[in-house]
This record gives sequence, structure tokens and C-alpha cells, in this order.
Amino acid sequence: MVMSVEEIEAAMIEKATKSPKPQLYVKDFYKCDPDSKPRVIKNIANGLVKKGELMFWSSGSTTMYARPDRIKNEEGAEGIN
Amino acid sequence: MAKHDTPLLDELEKGPWPSFVTDMKRQAETHPECWDILGQLELSFKDRITHWKHGGIVGVFGYGGGIVGRYSDVPKQFPGVEHFHTVRIAQPSGLYYSTKNLRSLMDLWDKYGSGMTNMHGSTGDMILLGTRTENLEPLFWDLTHDLDQDLGGSGSNLRTPSCCLGDSRCEWSCYDAQDVCYHLTMHYQDEIHRPAFPYKFKFKFSGCPNDCVAAIARSDFAVIGTWKDDIQVDQAGVKEYMAGNYPANGGAHAGRDWGAFDIKKEVLDICPTECMWMEGDELKIDNSECTRCMHCINVMPRALKPGKEKGATICIGAKAPILDGAQFATMVIPFIEVSKDNEYENLIDVIEQVWDWWMEVGKNRERVGETMQRIGLPTFLKVMEIDAMPQHVKEPRSNPYVFWKEEEVEGGFERDVEEFRRKHAA
Repeated sequence: MVMSVEEIEAAMIEKATKSPKPQLYVKDFYKCDPDSKPRVIKNIANGLVKKGELMFWSSGSTTMYARPDRIKNEEGAEGIN
Repeated sequence: MAKHDTPLLDELEKGPWPSFVTDMKRQAETHPECWDILGQLELSFKDRITHWKHGGIVGVFGYGGGIVGRYSDVPKQFPGVEHFHTVRIAQPSGLYYSTKNLRSLMDLWDKYGSGMTNMHGSTGDMILLGTRTENLEPLFWDLTHDLDQDLGGSGSNLRTPSCCLGDSRCEWSCYDAQDVCYHLTMHYQDEIHRPAFPYKFKFKFSGCPNDCVAAIARSDFAVIGTWKDDIQVDQAGVKEYMAGNYPANGGAHAGRDWGAFDIKKEVLDICPTECMWMEGDELKIDNSECTRCMHCINVMPRALKPGKEKGATICIGAKAPILDGAQFATMVIPFIEVSKDNEYENLIDVIEQVWDWWMEVGKNRERVGETMQRIGLPTFLKVMEIDAMPQHVKEPRSNPYVFWKEEEVEGGFERDVEEFRRKHAA
């Protein structure tokens, strides 16, 4: 069954909320809809960042995604490396 | 007056070469936070560990790249570098700057940052080192609105494409490298500014096989100008070089007396494929053996030129040494037409074919060259729908295990494999 964009978005938000690690690679979202091409998943992930549902976390060489409430700001007391 | 004692760093000022320590001390006179860089670096030398934390959530609105978060892990000791983010700015094609533009950029960086720069990063863009989070949006506004410039790529994005001078100054350029670079930069704005891949991906465009931007060594997708037909030879020009009337290498080595030009010693004998010889006073070239090393053309530019049927070679998969050491790109497409008429459609088709495969098969933090190496070139060529050819073979017979598929063997496999295995149990 083909999933709608809204259904994929919901699955991705759920994954980002429940995953043991707060930060996820874009590939980690591929399983949210195995029938969608990676580029479609990438576009939906970036769309979720635009909506404020996800946030980018970049090491400088790699970029990951996370729910905003699951990653602490480095400028706060608990920095992440 | 120095804010911190830096005896270890001071040693670095004693050598014969210009020292970054001296530069930073000078910069600290107008940007006091630079004292804290020196102080923190001195501490790192003592502790033998970096005190930078890199990465984070900083960026500018709408972009997922171009800013690399950097923080001190000893901010109380060195408050000037509590935040010290890096800003990557897309460089102009071929690195053509006007002094006005450079002054404006430096004014901008003096206003919002430490004033320290790295010109240029290995991707090619201008790297501005050291600013605070609250300065990022105002800096981005001024950069894009007043200077009409943009951020470059970072993270899992397409990195800022870079190119050589191309047609603008170089007679050897086989395609308009600057135009291709600009066109693809505009075409892939989304991929440059927002993450798209398992890891970084770099384009580089060199107009000829001299490869002045080192595309073959530094980019995942190298487009290197080449030609299909024969090297153009002006025999009268060759005679002028042999007579010593034209300086070899365009006079590049004129600072020292190297003796009279010797075409045999300086050109024919060091041709890597030995495809050149003299017949009387005529230079002969077996063009079918030429590997486009450019040496003969570099030595005798007034006598030899690239052929007339021009295009590019595509090499894929170079990278620096994080895993398995550095690797050069693999030649995948020996010749492709590069035409503005179709808006470089054939180049774009190849790029997207690579991306579609790599996004699916590549592991997290795996460069496309590493994926190719893991999966194997034969599989990669099948994915790219390219028939294997001798030029793809790096060295013959290095792998004796060739696994044929039944459909590749005339008549198929007639032998009963099960029966065979019963007689030859492992």
C-alpha cells in the first residue's frame, strides 16, 4: 500500500521520538516507508525541519536529524559532542 | 599585551617560516578573543588533547549547511572562544575576486567575527573562523543582501562546487568549466543548502587533464576536460622549440640555466606511454596510446594543443584518508560531451544515477568511493549501465576469482552442480 506524505511524516516523527538515540541519519528514516525512494524521504525529512518537527544536528562533516526537544543546546548546561 | 602565557606556541614563531602564532597575536590586537584561541591551543599542547567541541545545531534559518558549530570545552577559562563557529562562504567560480569584494567580506567578518579566515578550505570555499551564535543571522543577512553572496555546503550536503579558470584564461580548456560549475551550483541549490546524502559529496570541474583543481584527488565526482581526436601539432612550432627560439614550458623554468632544449630527453623519453617519436625533424604521435598526461603540451604549448573534438572524462570516488587511506577517483566514463545547449543534461543524468544508487546502498558516513570499493567496480558499472572496457582495468589479473553467471556463459552451466559437489565435498 502506498503511504501518503502525511503518513510518512507521522512515521518519521514517531521514529525520531522513540529511537534510543536522539539523533538519526537520513537513512534511518528509509524504513518508515520502504517503498519510497531515498530522495523522497530526504525531502520529507527536510520538510519536517522546516515545520519545526525535526532539527538538524551537524558535526560539520555529517548532518543528522532530531526532535528539537530531544537534543540539548550546547550553549546550555549539558553540551553534546 | 598578551592575555595568556604561551611558551609552547612561542616556539613556533622561531622557525624560518611565517607563523600562524604571530598572525594570531597581531589579530588579537583588534580582536581580543584571539588571545583565548592562543590560550586554549597552549592548553591543548600541554594536555595533548583538543579542547574544541565541534558540531551542533547552529545554522541560519532555512539552511542545513554552511555553518559548523564549534565550542570550547573550557569556556570559563577562555570566554572569548566559548562559541567559535565556522562560516563557509561559496567562492566565485575560478576564484575570481575583485579587491572590492574581498574588502567588503573582510569588513563583514571584522564586524561579526574574529577576523580570522582560511583561504580556501579544501572544498574550495572561503572559511571564516570564529563567531558567536547571535551573530550568524545578521552576518547571513548582510552577506546575501549587501554582498550578493551565499553560504557554501557542509555536513551531508553537496559541497560547494569548484572549478578551474577554464575558458576565461586557459587555451587548453576543453569545456567551459566555470559555466558548468555555476549552472550546477544553481541547479542543485537544495542539495547544497540542505542535507541530502549519507555523507558529503563534492563536484570539481577541471577544464583539461592538467586538473588544476585536483578534481581527481579531491572530489567524489570529477569532470576533467579531454579530447577524443588527435593532439594538434604545429610542426613549424616544434622546430622552433628544438632550435631554442621558443622557451620550453612557456618560460616557467627560466630562472635557472637548464641548458639547451632537448626534445628527446625532455619530451619523448618521458612520455608515459612512449607514444611519441621523431621521423627526421617531424614529431609523430600515436594518439591511440596517448593517456592525456599533458606533459608534451605543457612543455611545447606553442607547438601542441589538445584535439578539436572536446569533452570531459568523468572520474568518481576520490576521498581523503579517513577510512582505508586516501584514494584517487576511478575513471568511469572516458568521454562525455559537455554542452551548454542541453543545459548539461547528460552530465546531470550521470550525477543523479550515481546519487540514486549511493543514497540507497551507501552506509552512513560512507563516501561514494568507499561504497564503490565495497560493492566492487563491476557492480557499479552495471548500475551505471556502462559496459566494462579496458580503461576501467587498473591492473590486469590482480584478482583470479572471476564469478561467471550462467547467462554469461555460452550454453549455460550444463554440469549438475549438486552432483559435482557430492564428489568434491568441502
